[in-house]
Amino acid sequence: MNRDKNLPLTETVYYILLALTEPAHGYLILQKIEELSLGQVRMAAGTLYGAIDNLLKLKWIQPVQSEDSRRKVYVITDRGMEMLRMDSERMMHMVETTRRRIKL
Amino acid sequence: MRKYKFFVDLAKEEQWLNEMASQGYVLAGKSGASYRFESGEPGSFVLRIDYRSFKHAADFEDYRLLFEDSGWRHIAGTKSSGAQYFLKKTADQSEDIFSDADSKAGKFKRLSEMWFSLAVCFLPILTALVMAGNIDLTAFLQPAKLYYTPGLWDKTGADFWGAFLFETPFALLRGFIWLILPVSIVLYAVFAAKARKQYNKTLNKI
Repeated sequence: MNRDKNLPLTETVYYILLALTEPAHGYLILQKIEELSLGQVRMAAGTLYGAIDNLLKLKWIQPVQSEDSRRKVYVITDRGMEMLRMDSERMMHMVETTRRRIKL
Repeated sequence: MRKYKFFVDLAKEEQWLNEMASQGYVLAGKSGASYRFESGEPGSFVLRIDYRSFKHAADFEDYRLLFEDSGWRHIAGTKSSGAQYFLKKTADQSEDIFSDADSKAGKFKRLSEMWFSLAVCFLPILTALVMAGNIDLTAFLQPAKLYYTPGLWDKTGADFWGAFLFETPFALLRGFIWLILPVSIVLYAVFAAKARKQYNKTLNKI
């Protein structure tokens, strides 16, 4: 089976995509990620900015209109959603296989 | 307080600014090579430098707001200056604007690309000058040819020295100003290589 060359996603990218299943601006993304990861992933501003830049180029996220004219708001695209789904299936398979082989 | 310094190495610059902050001199502004400091409680500020330029003013505004929202005050840097200076009031000296090695190294990659493109920009100018025959290499062997004052070499004593010294700066400009081009190209290429090296070093340091 040929796997998409962008997989597996990094933890940073995975959480950004997950956070952007609802529209959000930069700082809100940081807060959502901290919340979604139960405080395990605390991303810094510079790291997030670079990742957003990259995800926009890949067209996995896109800017959307918002009331806040100074802060850019982004949301996940269909392509981004597809990547998120593929990577979660990959991880699900890993977890299931692991459970079958060893008692956790 | 003001200090004048010139850095090529972003990491060394950041280190110096943090040393200043630990002594109670907190960066308050920067223009060119002039750093302006205000007094602040020693050990309670961290300074970090990012390297990024922007096409649109709105992108720059959005970028700065993301940092400000996260507690980093934007101290210096413009839309196209590249280096962006951020300050945070915190006792934790390990606070950073990057949370992984990839993005921390990324700024050196952008810096390296900037130096490299400058070097590349100067190349066609130098090539054009050489092709057009505007560069006279014989000036190295016969610098006397660069002096245009009529009868200069027949003069003697104070008369000669006065005329000679007066024209020397012009003669040097006339004959060797083009050297700025190859020297700049080499310097930019060296800076690009240095930044590239730092990129690799940062990337391998987890």
